[in-house]
Amino acid sequence: MPESPKAQPRFRDLAIRYGFLVLLLGIVIFFSIMEPAFMSLRSMVFVFQSVSITAILALGVTATLVVDGFDLSIGSVAASSMMAASYSMVIWGFSSVEAVAFCLFLGLAVGLFNGLLVVVARVPDLLATLGTMFLLLGLQLIPTAGRSIAKGMMLPDGSTATGAFDKSFLYLGRHRLWDILPVSVLIMLVLALAIWFFLEFTRWGRVMYAIGSNELASRLAGAPVARYKIAAYMISGVSASIGGILLAARVGRGDVSSGNNLLLDAVAAALIGFAVLGVAKPNAFGTLIGALFVGVLLQGLTMMNAPYYAQDFVKGAVLVVALVFTFSLTRAVRR
Amino acid sequence: MSAEKLHEASVSLVLDLEGVEKSFGANKVLQGVDLSIRAGEVVVLMGANGAGKSTLVKIIAGVHAADKGRIELEGKPFQPSTPAAAIRSGVCIVHQSINDGVAPDLSVAQNLLLDRLCNGETELFFRPGRARKQAAAIAAALELDLDLDRPVHELNLADRQLVSISRALAQNPKLLILDEPTSSLSQREAERLFAIIDRLKESGVAILYISHRMSDIRRLADRIISLRDGTITGTFEKPLNYEAAVHAMLGHAIEVTGQQVAQRGEALFCASDIRLKPTSDPFSLVLHRGEIVVLTGLVGTGKSALAECIFGVAKPAAGSFELDGIAFNPTDPGDAIARGVFMVAKDRANSSIIPGFDIAQNLTLPFLTRFSTAGTVRLAREKQSARAMIDALDVVCQSEQDVLSALSGGNQQKVVIARWLSQPSKLLVLDEPFQGVDIRARGDIGTKLRNTSDQRATLVLTAELDEALEIADRILVMSNHTIVGEHLTADLNMDLLMSQISGATAMAPSEIESLQSTYRN
Amino acid sequence: MLTSITRRMMLGLAAVATTGMGFSAFAADMPKPFDNPGDVKIALVRYLSTGDFFQAYLSGVERQAAALGVDLRIFDSRQDAALQADMVDQAIALGVDGIVVQHGLTESMTEAVQRAVDAGIKVVAFDVNVENDAVPQVEQSDQLLAQLALEQAIKDNGESFTAGYVYVPGIAPLDRRDEKWREFKERYSGINEVAQFGTLDNPIANSVANQASAVLRANPTINVMFAPYDEFAKGVKIAVDEAGVSKDVKIYSADVSSADIQAMREDDSAWVATAATNPAVVGEVSVRALAMLLAGEDPGSNVIVPPTLITRDMLMDLGIENMEQLSAKLPQFAHADVAVTEWMPLPDR
Repeated sequence: MPESPKAQPRFRDLAIRYGFLVLLLGIVIFFSIMEPAFMSLRSMVFVFQSVSITAILALGVTATLVVDGFDLSIGSVAASSMMAASYSMVIWGFSSVEAVAFCLFLGLAVGLFNGLLVVVARVPDLLATLGTMFLLLGLQLIPTAGRSIAKGMMLPDGSTATGAFDKSFLYLGRHRLWDILPVSVLIMLVLALAIWFFLEFTRWGRVMYAIGSNELASRLAGAPVARYKIAAYMISGVSASIGGILLAARVGRGDVSSGNNLLLDAVAAALIGFAVLGVAKPNAFGTLIGALFVGVLLQGLTMMNAPYYAQDFVKGAVLVVALVFTFSLTRAVRR
Repeated sequence: MSAEKLHEASVSLVLDLEGVEKSFGANKVLQGVDLSIRAGEVVVLMGANGAGKSTLVKIIAGVHAADKGRIELEGKPFQPSTPAAAIRSGVCIVHQSINDGVAPDLSVAQNLLLDRLCNGETELFFRPGRARKQAAAIAAALELDLDLDRPVHELNLADRQLVSISRALAQNPKLLILDEPTSSLSQREAERLFAIIDRLKESGVAILYISHRMSDIRRLADRIISLRDGTITGTFEKPLNYEAAVHAMLGHAIEVTGQQVAQRGEALFCASDIRLKPTSDPFSLVLHRGEIVVLTGLVGTGKSALAECIFGVAKPAAGSFELDGIAFNPTDPGDAIARGVFMVAKDRANSSIIPGFDIAQNLTLPFLTRFSTAGTVRLAREKQSARAMIDALDVVCQSEQDVLSALSGGNQQKVVIARWLSQPSKLLVLDEPFQGVDIRARGDIGTKLRNTSDQRATLVLTAELDEALEIADRILVMSNHTIVGEHLTADLNMDLLMSQISGATAMAPSEIESLQSTYRN
Repeated sequence: MLTSITRRMMLGLAAVATTGMGFSAFAADMPKPFDNPGDVKIALVRYLSTGDFFQAYLSGVERQAAALGVDLRIFDSRQDAALQADMVDQAIALGVDGIVVQHGLTESMTEAVQRAVDAGIKVVAFDVNVENDAVPQVEQSDQLLAQLALEQAIKDNGESFTAGYVYVPGIAPLDRRDEKWREFKERYSGINEVAQFGTLDNPIANSVANQASAVLRANPTINVMFAPYDEFAKGVKIAVDEAGVSKDVKIYSADVSSADIQAMREDDSAWVATAATNPAVVGEVSVRALAMLLAGEDPGSNVIVPPTLITRDMLMDLGIENMEQLSAKLPQFAHADVAVTEWMPLPDR
């Protein structure tokens, strides 16, 4: 028995609640000492920018995790949305508003498809979204026969594309408000705030958490479980398509890519988010912090010239620590 | 003592318990149980939910250790530390839940040898040919007439159970414990099981048979032991007095308290010509405002099926419902709730509780629309309502922000009941609301139900007769998915009730009809 | 000014030369078996196929095959090494006269190619070492690519500059380009490499941009970025733009695509030069080398397709906006005078 039985659990509670935030602060201080350029407003903004796309995808995954689902297709939805934005502007000559609407529609449609697979066809979520992932990986290549999309590209039929990326579209990825805040960071923050509010304070969010915790009990409490699950996948799909739009706007072309790294980073961020504030459940605030955590580490390590393979290792280490934190420490206290 | 005498003693007495006690925390589950079973004897253990049957069985099976008392197996001290140790000593159990006893993806033969495989009593390498021969030998000895190569998941429930029993018998047990083995069997299948039990008896196996079913008990029992609240309340030798055994099991509840029947209002809910299964007999029932009706009957007789139909989870095979004189066909629970029909589902851990939510969030889950403005939950209002309900039901907790998984079972159940009492309803169905709840909490819940019952109809489903008698104005008896009897608690014919529950007698539908019509008037 | 004029004159001359050659080839008599080209069957067995480079390579192969009039069969294993080996056997069974092996793994292809050679089939390999003396190796020279880009960097910035370098070890072409970079650092002691980074996390450009932005902040003195792969260069350019230092940093890279050309052409683009081999030309050369083998001539054991330096100035001066215009206006990019014989018909341009 410890000498002060009361002090012990209180310290432990505090450690669980704020441990991850303190760790994040510590890492920021460490990098600032090692590399003074790290600690500046501009630098912080860059960290936010580097994680904005990952974080947006991670917020979508969070929505599916809340209903005890999972969405493996977000990476390929983002990649497809990037291709769709590029294709619609460069080849069909869409305006930026039309292109954005097209991508959001695509994200919603994929989310609906995933939701129907899971809810109606009763395919287990991991398998259903894995199938969608492969479907999209192939689909995004079909219109261009595997080529990347850029202004003035040659089409499979031999003609040259006449459209171009709309200036206002590129603003989404490149413009800075007040010369400091990138639009993508603003979108990430707004989306995080919206999803956080939705999950924590609205009745719809409450029911989603209930479904994730005990689906049968929620159904017997009158919740239309199927509709909520489909909605969660649609939130995920639309988030991923927003990520893809920003990606296209930043890169300025439609790159052929699988988006698998986006998926892995986003899932890692959402899982790390479980540990933030010691809540041991998916939550939007945690997801944002989780993404920032990884972003800070990667930016700091790059500044210190750490080799690229060190970065994957560090990502893995953070994830494992967060998972241990979630599944052993927090559970021990709950009990 | 001569060796012969020792042998003699061990043959006659397989299991001998004396003064066995067991507590979980402050809860004394067994308070000095004496029990002995002789070789070749079937002892039936009767006891209501929470009487301590399963704890007793778990102690014999090596899952729990007794706090106090002496246990001997064939005259030697017996303290199995694990279930595997108990099996090695010759004590085998066939569980109530059939799928606990079989590995569905393995073949019949592999299932029969499962214990040997798991015990590591085989050679290093699994030799299918040899194993099959062993399995065939076991099957032949037990007259098990099944294709040994079929995977178990292709078998029907009764055959699965047969495999499960055969698996236990493959261990050559000295003592076989059967926990409600007929609860999912048809009459014919049960008869096959009884034949096996007869054979085992002849070969000198001691059998401890746990059941409520009077038909089983009449057919099998050599001796009946009634357990109530952790003590043996009666031991009945042949000739068996069944009534007395049931009375001993149910205890005080038999003294009908002459409960005051509430003022009954108009008919609120009618079910007409309902068939729960296409093959079951139709029945009708009427529930009135202000009354508490208990539907009782053994486990698996269709009580929950009826509740599910009323709550929109399932559809009856035939028949119709009316609520307030208007046709009532809920498409899903949400629809039922919107119409004012609430249900406290049985098995709260699976079907009621959101474990990660706090008390307040659990309470308001079905009624979030009423607690939110423009979609945003009004936390202050939610908290206020939660506090009121916590007070009303005496939920023991620190605050309304306690996570539900941190509460005791009884308090969790109070929260679940409070959820459905927190808003006015027209019909409240409670399916086994007292499951896993201690006497005090049961009393609190019963009182609360009674005090709030005047504006709605209340239907309580329970398999436990004493629970039924505590709160009912009227008791309906269900057997074989239809209603076979109806009683006013005020003038109860206990013997008739018992025989209806056990499936021996059913009122003719016309009788029920006439009874109901007298109530109506 | 003077250099630019000479360069343009050179280009003009080269253009005239190639066009002339293209027409002259038709006049020549065809050696066996090309006197009856419809009966000649060749196969292209591919390991990699998705992406601009491989699309362009394929179009080169198709064009040269069409110019010869031979029957081309395409086998695409989509990065399945075992399948690719099986496809060689399928081609043998099909009775082809020649095979072009495009990429693949030495381990899986060596034996399959040997079987083809034993069956009397002529084989050329592009960018894969099949350890067979009978098989000429077609390659774009990564060393030359790096050298051209670095020479341009020295020309623009003098012999001393502060450099950031994008590199991921373990990728064969990047490793070969890395050799040249090390050679240059040794030769010019004024080159100060202050940061090395890189990743292949896709989308690569996005991930590299994140890294590069950190590097640029940590090392504000960098004035040259050597990014010898166009995806790297694209990522660095995004970071340079975002940091607002596009006038202070110059990016040198390798490879080119329409999208790259657009990026280089942007106002104040920091991406000033890239060295590239036209993948379509590599495709044409692969088929021509095979044709020479079939006609009993020796293309040499290493057929190297020389790269071309493409600078931002060229693109702007010549008004080049995409790959097609690049080919049209930079003839040395559109055609390589490699594996060309008297009789060889060349594709129209």
